[in-house]
Amino acid sequence: MAPLIEAKDLTKKYGAHVALDRANLNVEAGRIVGLIGPNGAGKTSALRAILGLTNYEGQLTVLGREPFRDRTALMNECCFIADVAVLPSWLRVDQAIDFVAGVHPRFRRDRAHGFLAKTQITGKRRMRELSKGMKTQVHLALTMAIDAKLLVLDEPTLGLDILARRAFYDALVNDYMDETRTILITTHQVEEVENLLTDIIFIDRGRIVLDTSLEDVATRFSAVAVRADRLDAARAEKPFYERHILGKMVLYFENADAGKLAAFGDLHTPSVSDLFVAKLSGGAA
Amino acid sequence: MNTSTWLIRREFWENRAIWVIPAVFGALLILAALFGQVSIPKLTASPAEMHEAAGAFQVIIGVMFYAVMAVYATWYLLDCLYADRRDRSILFWKSLPISDVRTVLIKLLVGMILIPLVYFAAADATALIGAFILSIRARASLGSALWQADAWWDIQLLWVYSIATTAIWYLPIAGWLMLVSAWAKRAVMLWSVLPPLVAYIFERVFFGTHVIGHTLTRRLMGLPLVAFNNAKHVWTQGSSGVDNGSLAIRAWDLINPSGFFTSAETWIGAAVGIVLIVGAIQLRMRRSEI
Repeated sequence: MAPLIEAKDLTKKYGAHVALDRANLNVEAGRIVGLIGPNGAGKTSALRAILGLTNYEGQLTVLGREPFRDRTALMNECCFIADVAVLPSWLRVDQAIDFVAGVHPRFRRDRAHGFLAKTQITGKRRMRELSKGMKTQVHLALTMAIDAKLLVLDEPTLGLDILARRAFYDALVNDYMDETRTILITTHQVEEVENLLTDIIFIDRGRIVLDTSLEDVATRFSAVAVRADRLDAARAEKPFYERHILGKMVLYFENADAGKLAAFGDLHTPSVSDLFVAKLSGGAA
Repeated sequence: MNTSTWLIRREFWENRAIWVIPAVFGALLILAALFGQVSIPKLTASPAEMHEAAGAFQVIIGVMFYAVMAVYATWYLLDCLYADRRDRSILFWKSLPISDVRTVLIKLLVGMILIPLVYFAAADATALIGAFILSIRARASLGSALWQADAWWDIQLLWVYSIATTAIWYLPIAGWLMLVSAWAKRAVMLWSVLPPLVAYIFERVFFGTHVIGHTLTRRLMGLPLVAFNNAKHVWTQGSSGVDNGSLAIRAWDLINPSGFFTSAETWIGAAVGIVLIVGAIQLRMRRSEI
């Protein structure tokens, strides 16, 4: 089966600044993919290209279409929430539901009402009267009521408190996600999403640093809290990153022999956030 | 309802001023009719004079509404592609399956046709209610003068003709306003005025000519000259050509459709307008930064 998103040499330049530098990535159907990178790494440029909001160089197909040329058709099967609460201030909640129901063939009104019923938000309120968190909840209700094959979320829970964030991710996994859907998500809060992701893509300075499934992370990467006396021996195995915490040295290895590493100390699979720090700091060295 | 209808409704939700301004303006005129001084110059009126009074009454109301409409529609077109970039809600609208071509054309339709139609309706309602009030307050002769059916029909014709010719004649202006609206990061008002002004001064200083200035002035002020009959006798004598001492005239004699629709100036302007609107659509599609 062809990947849902396939990018080959995807490049985006703003004048002299190269936001995306020949990036290659693949997203398969039915996955929850985290696109993770520091600020200015090219996350937003990549998402904008995937959503047809910007022109680009290189090859890109999303759901079998060229996003920039076919944005309107693509938006029938794909929906997205951009990084900030962007619903217009004059819009009323019931107008928003009516409008999306009117223009989107895959919108399910009962689902939107279902999501909103769990909140304090009533239909006659205008966006300008709602708090930032409530606005985000309305936006999420609108988006999650669309039967989309691809859902793109750019920092979806920005401005939400911890309860609302947890509720959102629970709803996403329990009520929304099934094998027919694919979710591409970017966030700064890696810890918050790492338990629900199936795949991770690290991006740094416009280049894809890592594109892998979490199953592969376990076999490919290892972290070892090395005992002081074995440090030199461990370093000989070429760790790609070292970290000094609580008086212990933790060394990170890629494609190393686990049996050998276990002899140096406590062996474990790095968390996504640790791997992210290791990969991006290590890559620079 | 289809997508275009929803987009039109959306414009009316967002810009409640589309109907609030003409409603308030009409209400003020009606208040003036209720409490203002009514002076009746001629107590004995011939049928021609009655027709004249009715026509003048309706034309004055129509011109006032048209003037307010022109100011508001200009502002609307200048703001329509900028407002949702300013508050970043463009990212929400673009997440829906609506093409940029459709979005821009609907906004053009609202600015050039639907807003004028709202003002047309408001002017009609104001004239009707105003005439009713005045006929109760004033003498019977004036009252019946304001209820001339053919004067009313004349005004309907003038409105429809004015809306149609305005939409075509001012298409390049509308296109320019929308282009600025789709392009400027801030200060749309300034950007809409500054480039033509700079071009005008540049031409004047370096070439000593006035082509740009004349073209712009002609476009901004020239509609009455091109779209209406300006032979002086029409305004004083009517089409009969016989000066019967009356100003009674019919709308058919005032308008000049054959002149307007065959003028090269009309269609050159419209072509420029279409180019500018295509530019606005392209900017709407490509402008990736907000």
